[in-house]
Amino acid sequence: MSIRGFLLRRFFASLPLFFLLPLLTFWLLHLVPGNYFDQLRLNPQVSQATVEKYEELYHLKEPVAIQYFYWLKQISRFDLGFSFAYKQPVLDVLASRLGNTVLLTGVSFFWAWLTAIFFGLLAARYPRSFLNRALEGIAYAGLSIPNFFLCMLLLYGASQWGGLPLGGMRGVDYEVLSVSGKLMDLLRHLAIPSFVLGFGVFAFLFRLMRSQAAETLDKDYILYLRTWRIPESKILFKHVARNAINPLITLLGMQLPALVSGAALVEIFTGWPGLGQVMLQAVRTQDIFLVLGNMVMVSCLLIAGNLLADVLLLWVDPRIRTGREVRA
Amino acid sequence: MKSRIPVIFFAASLITAGVAFGASGAHGFFDKTLVLAVATEPKTFNVMVAQETSSTEITQFLFEGLTAFDPRTGQVIPKLAASWERSDDGLVWTFRLMSDVRWSDGAPFTAEDVRFTFEEIIFNPAIPNGARDIFTLRGKPVSVRTVSDTVVEFRLPEPFAPFLFALSQPIVPKHILEKAVREGTFQSAWGLGEDPSRIVGTGPFRIAQVLPGERVELTRNGYYWKKDHAGRPLPRLDRILFLIIPSPENQLLRFLDGETDVYAVRGVDYPLLKPLEARKGFKIYSAGPSLGSYFVAFNQQTKTPWKKKWFQSRDFRRALAFGIDRHSMIDIVFNRLAVKQCSPLSPSVPLYHDPDARCYDYDPVVTRTILADVVGLADKNEDGILDDDEGHPLEIVLMTNAEDPTRVELAQMIREDWRKLGIKVHVQPLEFNTLVTKLTVTRDWEAVLIGLTGPVDPHFGANVWLSSGNLHFWNQGTSAPFYYETRIDELFQEASTALDPERRKAFYKDWQFLAVEELPLIYTVAPEIVYAVRDRFGDLHPTALGGPFYPIDELEPRRKIS
Repeated sequence: MSIRGFLLRRFFASLPLFFLLPLLTFWLLHLVPGNYFDQLRLNPQVSQATVEKYEELYHLKEPVAIQYFYWLKQISRFDLGFSFAYKQPVLDVLASRLGNTVLLTGVSFFWAWLTAIFFGLLAARYPRSFLNRALEGIAYAGLSIPNFFLCMLLLYGASQWGGLPLGGMRGVDYEVLSVSGKLMDLLRHLAIPSFVLGFGVFAFLFRLMRSQAAETLDKDYILYLRTWRIPESKILFKHVARNAINPLITLLGMQLPALVSGAALVEIFTGWPGLGQVMLQAVRTQDIFLVLGNMVMVSCLLIAGNLLADVLLLWVDPRIRTGREVRA
Repeated sequence: MKSRIPVIFFAASLITAGVAFGASGAHGFFDKTLVLAVATEPKTFNVMVAQETSSTEITQFLFEGLTAFDPRTGQVIPKLAASWERSDDGLVWTFRLMSDVRWSDGAPFTAEDVRFTFEEIIFNPAIPNGARDIFTLRGKPVSVRTVSDTVVEFRLPEPFAPFLFALSQPIVPKHILEKAVREGTFQSAWGLGEDPSRIVGTGPFRIAQVLPGERVELTRNGYYWKKDHAGRPLPRLDRILFLIIPSPENQLLRFLDGETDVYAVRGVDYPLLKPLEARKGFKIYSAGPSLGSYFVAFNQQTKTPWKKKWFQSRDFRRALAFGIDRHSMIDIVFNRLAVKQCSPLSPSVPLYHDPDARCYDYDPVVTRTILADVVGLADKNEDGILDDDEGHPLEIVLMTNAEDPTRVELAQMIREDWRKLGIKVHVQPLEFNTLVTKLTVTRDWEAVLIGLTGPVDPHFGANVWLSSGNLHFWNQGTSAPFYYETRIDELFQEASTALDPERRKAFYKDWQFLAVEELPLIYTVAPEIVYAVRDRFGDLHPTALGGPFYPIDELEPRRKIS
C-alpha cells in the first residue's frame, strides 16, 4: 500500500471522532438542568415572557434530539452558530482568542521540547554527572508541583522582587512603545505563563527522552560508530537523537489539541486573554454553541495532530516507510 | 551541521528568556488615565440587550438617558433632558432636550433618537429586552411622540411614579443603528468585534480599542456636551482602561504593583491591605453596605405536608430568624466588613430604606420557646432533633449556589446555629442554573440561601414581591395568596401610581414593615463595599450605588508618580 493510502486510511479512521466528541459534549451539556437564560430568571427586572422569547429564538425548549438536529444542520453549512453571551457568531468569538492561546502554548511547547530533547540526550550520555542528578530533581518538581501553585509562587515572587509583569499580555503603556519595545513587552508578559505551562511538559518529555536515549546508547551500532571515531557530539545529537525520538513524535501529534485547550488554568491565573477564560465561562453558563464550537475545533486538531504525527514518523523513521508496519 | 540546529535553537531561547527577564517595566505613562480591573470581560456594547454587569459597567460611560440617578442623594437629575413637566393626572410627560448635544461621531442628538430608541428598539417585538418590561404598564406600552427636534412627549396608560427614574434608560443613535434594526441583526450589533468608531453614544467617553479577553480602552468623547462650572470641557480624564483580570488574587497583586488604580477589597484582604496604605500610596474607603443581600427563604408550597405547615407558619419563620447569629457571620465570614440587614431594602438605598425596620437579633432562648410553645415541636425520641406531634423530625434541606463561596459558608454557619436548637439542616450547594431551575421551574425545594441585587427604586423589586411575580418563589403557583401578600400587592400598586414622593415613601414603609413582620424572606447580612484607591485621585466620597469615582466626568487625577 502506498503512503497516500496509509494516510487516507488513518484519516477516515479518525472521522467518527469528529462526530462523536461533539455528540458527547451535547449530551453532557443537556444533562445539566436549565439553560443559559436561567440567569435572566433571577433578574427582577426581566419578565418571564422575555426569557421565553429568548428560549424560543434558540430552540431551547425543543427535545434534545431535535436541538442536536438543528445544530447538525448548522454545522453542515460550516456555521458554528451563535454565542448567547456574546451575541456573535461562535467562529468570531473563538477566532479573536485563538491566536493568543496558540502563542502562549506554542512558546511553552517550543522551549519545553527543545530543552527536554537536549538535556534528555545529555543526561542519558552522562548518567553519573551532577547535571543528570540536578535535572532529575527539576523533573520531579515539574511532575509534582501543580500548575496553578507554581504560577502563584512565581507571581508572588515577581510582585516581591519585581522584574516581570504580573499578568496580562501587554503592558498598560503598550500603545506608546516602539516595535522592539512591543516585542520585548510581549516576551516579558510571556515569561511566567509560558514557563509554568512548559515546565510540566518539559519534565515529562525529559524523562522519556532520557530513557529512550539511554536505551539507544547501549545499542551495538553506537559502539560501531565510536570505533569509527565519529565525534561523540555527532553520535549523540544525530544518531542517538534520531533513533530515540520516535515515541516523542507520536506524542507531538497528540499534543496538538492541547495547544488550544491545555492552558485554561494558567490563562485564568495570569489573566492571559486566551480561550481558557472564555470556555470556562461558556461551560458554566451553558453557552452551548460556544462550547460545541470549541469541541469541533479540538476534534479537528486532534485529527490533524494524529495525521501530522503519522507524517512525521514516516519522515523520521524509514522503517515505517518501507517496512512491515505499513502493511500491518 | 544538522546536529547543531537544536543547540542553536536552545541557546536562542535561553537568550530571549534572559532578555525578557532583564528588561524593566515602565509604569506611570499616562497621567490622565484611570486603570480599572474587571473580573470578566464585557460580552457586548449593545446597551439595549446587555444583561450582565461586565458589559454594563463599561456602557455606563458611553451612553446616557434623558434623566440620571444621583447615587449620593437618590434624586433623579436632568441629563439629556434639560427640563420636563407632567400633566396633572400624571399621564402626559413632556421633555425638553438639552440643546447642542452631539453623538460621539459628531452627529446631532435629536428627539428622533429618543423616539427611535423606544418605538423601534424597546417596543420592537423581534428584540427581547428588559426595558420593555419596565415601560409596559398594565400590559400597555408607554407611547412616545416627537413634538419638535428638541421636545418629546410620553403618554402613559396609568400614572407611573418611578417614570423619571426609569428614563435613565440609555438612548442610542438612530443614524447608526437604524440599518441593523431594519435588517433584523440588532441583537448582534455592537459586539466586541465591532469597529469602535461605529459604537456611538452621548456619554463622556467612547471606545478607542477592544482587545478581546484582555482590555477595553475608552477615550474621552471630544463632543461631550457637559462643561464644568468654569466652562471648561469635561471629562477631565483622557482615558479609562479596563484590564480583564479574572483571578481576584491577581487583581490584588497588580493593584499593589501599581498597575491598576482601584481594588475592590474583600473581607480577607483587609488585614493585609490596611497596613500598606501609606507605604504603597493608596487609601481604603468604605462605600457602605452593598445592594446585594443574603436571605433564607422557605418553600411555602412544598409537597411534604408537615413541612408545608411549618414553612407557612409565621411563628416558625420568626423562631428561625431569631436563631441566626448574624454577628458571627459578620466577624467570621466578612472580617467585620458587613452589617446586619433587617429590611428587604439595603441601607444604601436612599429615600426609601426604613431604618426602624424590626431586627431579629440572635436569641436562641426565644427560638426554643417559640418552637416549643407556639409551633409545638419537642425532641420526643431524644435524638437531639425536634419532632412534631406525629413524630416527623425537623429536618430541612438548605440549598445555595456552589459558585459563591460566601453563600456556602453562610449556609454552613446557619446549619451550625440551627443544629444547636434541635434543627437538622442539610446544606446542598448546587450549580447556579440547577438552583434556578429548582426554584422557579420545578419548584422542588425546601429552603434556599441566596441573594438578589436589590433595586434602587423599590418598584423594580415588584417581580419578587407581587404575589403574581415570577420571582415570588416562596409561594408560587397558588391561587390564594396570604392576606399579607394581598396587602403587599396593593401597596406596590398604590406606590407605583403615587406621584407624591411622601405618600409613596409611606407605602414602601408599610411594605417593609409587613415584610419584616411576616418574614417570607429572612434577611441576614449585607456586605460592605470597600475600595482601595490610589492617592493621586485625591479625596473621594464613594457610595455603594455610584462606585468610587462618581461623577466620573469631573474626576481629575494628579500626576502619576512612579
